Amino acid sequence: MPPKEKVESSEQVLQAVILADSFDERFQPITLETARCLLPLCNVPLISYTFEFLAVAGVQEIFVFCCSHSDKVKQFVKQYGKQSNMKIHTIVSQECYSVGDAMRELDAKQLIDTDFILVTGDVVSNMKLDKVLDEHRARRQADKSAIMTMVLKKASPQHRSRSVGDGALFVLDQASKECLHYQPVKAFKSSRQDRRMTMDMEIFDKHPEVQIRNDLIDCQIDICSVEVPALFTENFDYQDIRTDFVHGILTSDLLGKTIHFQEVTDVYAARVRSTQMYDAVSKDIISRWTFPMVPDSNLQAGDCYEFRRGLVYKEKSVVLSRTCVVEEKVVIGANTQIAERSVLSNCVIGKNCVIGANVKIDNAYIWDNVTIMDDCVVQHSIIANGVVLEKGVTVEKGCLISFNVKVGAGSTVPAYSRLTALPEDEDDSEAELESEQAIVGATGRGRTFREAEGSDDEDDEVDPRNKLVNRLAYDFSALELDQAQQELASGSEFESEASDLEEDEVNPAEDLDREVTQTLERAFKENHTVDIAALELNTLRMASNSSFHEMRKRIIPSVLKHMDVTAPVKSGKAVKDVLDKWGPLIGRMVHDKDDQIDGLYILQRASAALAPGTSSKVFAPSLRYFYDADILEEDAILIWYHSEKSQEGSEEEKKLRALAAPMIAFLEQSDSEDESEEESEEESEEESDEE
Amino acid sequence: MSKGTNDLVDDLVAKLKRRQLVGSSTVAQATLKLLIVVISKNNWSKPNELLNLVKSVGQKLIEANPTELAVGNIVRRVLHVIREEYREAEAEKDANLNEFQPAPLTTSSSMYNLLGETGSASKDNVHYPSSLRSNIIQEIREIKDDLENIYDQIKNQASLHIHSNEIIMTIGRSKTVEEFLKMAASKRKFQVLVAESAPSYSGQEMALELSKAGIETTVIPDSAVFAVMSRVNKVILGTHAVLANGGLIAISGSHMMASAAKHHSIPVVVCTGLYKLSPLYPYDEDSFNVSMNPDSILGFEEGDLIEKVTVTNPYYDYVSPTLVDLFLTNQGGHPPSYLYRLIIENYDPNDQTFDLSTMAETLPKKQRA
Repeated sequence: MPPKEKVESSEQVLQAVILADSFDERFQPITLETARCLLPLCNVPLISYTFEFLAVAGVQEIFVFCCSHSDKVKQFVKQYGKQSNMKIHTIVSQECYSVGDAMRELDAKQLIDTDFILVTGDVVSNMKLDKVLDEHRARRQADKSAIMTMVLKKASPQHRSRSVGDGALFVLDQASKECLHYQPVKAFKSSRQDRRMTMDMEIFDKHPEVQIRNDLIDCQIDICSVEVPALFTENFDYQDIRTDFVHGILTSDLLGKTIHFQEVTDVYAARVRSTQMYDAVSKDIISRWTFPMVPDSNLQAGDCYEFRRGLVYKEKSVVLSRTCVVEEKVVIGANTQIAERSVLSNCVIGKNCVIGANVKIDNAYIWDNVTIMDDCVVQHSIIANGVVLEKGVTVEKGCLISFNVKVGAGSTVPAYSRLTALPEDEDDSEAELESEQAIVGATGRGRTFREAEGSDDEDDEVDPRNKLVNRLAYDFSALELDQAQQELASGSEFESEASDLEEDEVNPAEDLDREVTQTLERAFKENHTVDIAALELNTLRMASNSSFHEMRKRIIPSVLKHMDVTAPVKSGKAVKDVLDKWGPLIGRMVHDKDDQIDGLYILQRASAALAPGTSSKVFAPSLRYFYDADILEEDAILIWYHSEKSQEGSEEEKKLRALAAPMIAFLEQSDSEDESEEESEEESEEESDEE
Repeated sequence: MSKGTNDLVDDLVAKLKRRQLVGSSTVAQATLKLLIVVISKNNWSKPNELLNLVKSVGQKLIEANPTELAVGNIVRRVLHVIREEYREAEAEKDANLNEFQPAPLTTSSSMYNLLGETGSASKDNVHYPSSLRSNIIQEIREIKDDLENIYDQIKNQASLHIHSNEIIMTIGRSKTVEEFLKMAASKRKFQVLVAESAPSYSGQEMALELSKAGIETTVIPDSAVFAVMSRVNKVILGTHAVLANGGLIAISGSHMMASAAKHHSIPVVVCTGLYKLSPLYPYDEDSFNVSMNPDSILGFEEGDLIEKVTVTNPYYDYVSPTLVDLFLTNQGGHPPSYLYRLIIENYDPNDQTFDLSTMAETLPKKQRA
């Protein structure tokens, strides 16, 4: 007996929400004419897989949220609902532009009264959710703040079923099944922000064991509690459920909510988020990873697929000519005819297609009612309903050919083109379609689709390559080709890594400069204690991840500048006052001998940089003060004095070094007993002079 | 069909499609239960009406999961019972109406068919006794009882086939074989080798069950089957279905085991309920097989690899009838060559397919004849 799947028995009605809109434009121009969730995947509408997945999970009531092409979705759902024993409602909302909007709408309508399953309308999964649901409920019983459980599937980083560029880093605690941090990862990381992950250090305090994982497919199957839509309403700027909601909840201390995860193995779960994923998921279905959701289990009523060796699925009414070759991994829909000597491999062909003689189809997805005449070649492309390819057409890889396009005899559709038969001006329904004869040929019908300008204003700064990687049949070499173009278009955005980094260094340094100056000014003005100022500065240092050297470099000059040495009289006292007050602060930034030597260089340079004439008034007493206060030890001073670095630099700096000479002499003398007394006298004289 | 029964049918269809119900015995019982409801809850008066009703339900169920052959077998069995009942009623009536007319030659159902050959316009007017409905339901209930007691009828033969100190080999988990061996163990002492049947490893569960019953059991990997076969006295297999030619659709590994047994001239005995006997023929070795998720063979996590290899994970094997020596059914032991007789006795040749469209075409012709 094959393994049995248990039927879920739940006391309360299990509800699910399907977001039938993708809120992006990756399938355009095909999605200009129909909804994403109705696109056929292995000849079955995408959303049927989602319905089936939920039905197996024991869901009794489904809310389908749709916005674009809602009439078509509604019609389909109505039809589907007739055969199903689930209650399916459609909610149409034209003003939804993101998942967040949909969730807010859901909250406003108050349709959900219990924990529910939130999925998108493009999920394909054979997972049994009962265990996940049980665990979620148990967690909720124990802890009311556990508001959501995400279902994650393990897969290697280069897995074909991972949507390139939609990945994420998860920081997880395996013991409590808690997700601690979420960070989206882009395929091309052009800005510094993309390359770094910032997370709260507290995580390490609270959780003894933390995993940072990049090997998880996130197919956005979430078990949500009723609080989730409400939280979306509270935080009206949340758009995406992952980058905004999950990230926001996890980084917010105020909400105190937790998000959990469930890692699944041995089951299949993926989302058709892009044309690249469409390709991968189709292949997974054909290779039976989604079992029992495979073509020969006939998800759609009326289908009757037979499974043959070599992963070939064929409807009973297909007509194959004697000499045509159906290689492996092929799905052929009802009433399709394939003529002599045609070769099919790795492809899906829809219902009622007519395929002529000598046609080669590899890796392509051909939907219903398509006519492909003799001698055509189709590679790695999606060809939508009603398309006609006349004799001898070549479709290169990565093309999307939308509904009812006609490509004239002998033409070649270049790689990655997107063709549509809709007129350019969408608003004007009267507008005639102007066919581009260069591409579709003299007898053809259709034009190249151009993305609407500014359609994704929020993503303006996004690396355009990140959009391309989601395309069907992308490969990095193809992207390289385009790069020259892009660099022209976007200028400095694609500078080499090194220069990029340098640029990065400047920013935090400037930031730190400003912050330190402001902190010190505040401290001087409001007369903070050294403790408070030191605390603030230390926090700054940690926040900017900089060294004590960086801090000294900024603090010492600030303190020196604070000394009012311009006053003709008692300037020495001013220096002393400031040092008495703020000297210990510098002391906090100095720890060992290397620090002291470094501090001296900084002191030397900073003093030299002061207004001419004042530098000597500042330097010598400072030096002495630091020595007296044990901030500088004599060894350090001696090393500094004798080092070459102190003897280089500007005239002013050399002069300052010379000023220290008497002190050095004194130090050297006190070091060795047999030094003459005169020198010490001399030095003390000089010092008194200074004062 | 009434609304209530329609829902029940849809429910079972969905369960079969989603593979929430699998395994011959489970699906057979569910199908029979449903058919009893369908027949008793719906209105019908003429034989054709009832037959079409059962056929239409049967067609839906079979299409839901064509690899569960037991569904079709049960539907055919029920159809056969209905035809038999009508035939009896008809014969009685004919005898009453016209005593001069000789009773029809009714012994062999394969030669004689009530609805086919002797169908006539006059039959539509025939009034059937009211007891007919209850008779039919009574008969079907008998099938149901049979199904429920099937293990008892098979396992009672155990002591005839298993002798002291024998070494028995089996593969995978089969409830029938399990009961059979346990029964034998209550009288005799023998040893069992169980091949684990990768990648489902159901043999391990089987071994656990047998050892709990006090049988000396050893689990062997599938690769060791040939090596130890020479020491074995008898191979006892369970099966998912028995086809009309005597071939088996049995858990993967069975073909290998039966071939190894053939090589060593070890008898292969198949324990099966008659409900698993299907009147269908296999056209090739892949027919009626189920290809499972490749996950248990190659992990889905191996992203780079799964793009480059094609993994097939067939759940069943086709074992040709030449490799089987004996079928032990609830009606006793039969050699493969005798199965044709069992099929004739249990099923009507008109019920091989349930295609309603072809049926509609043939009916008027017959009436004209």
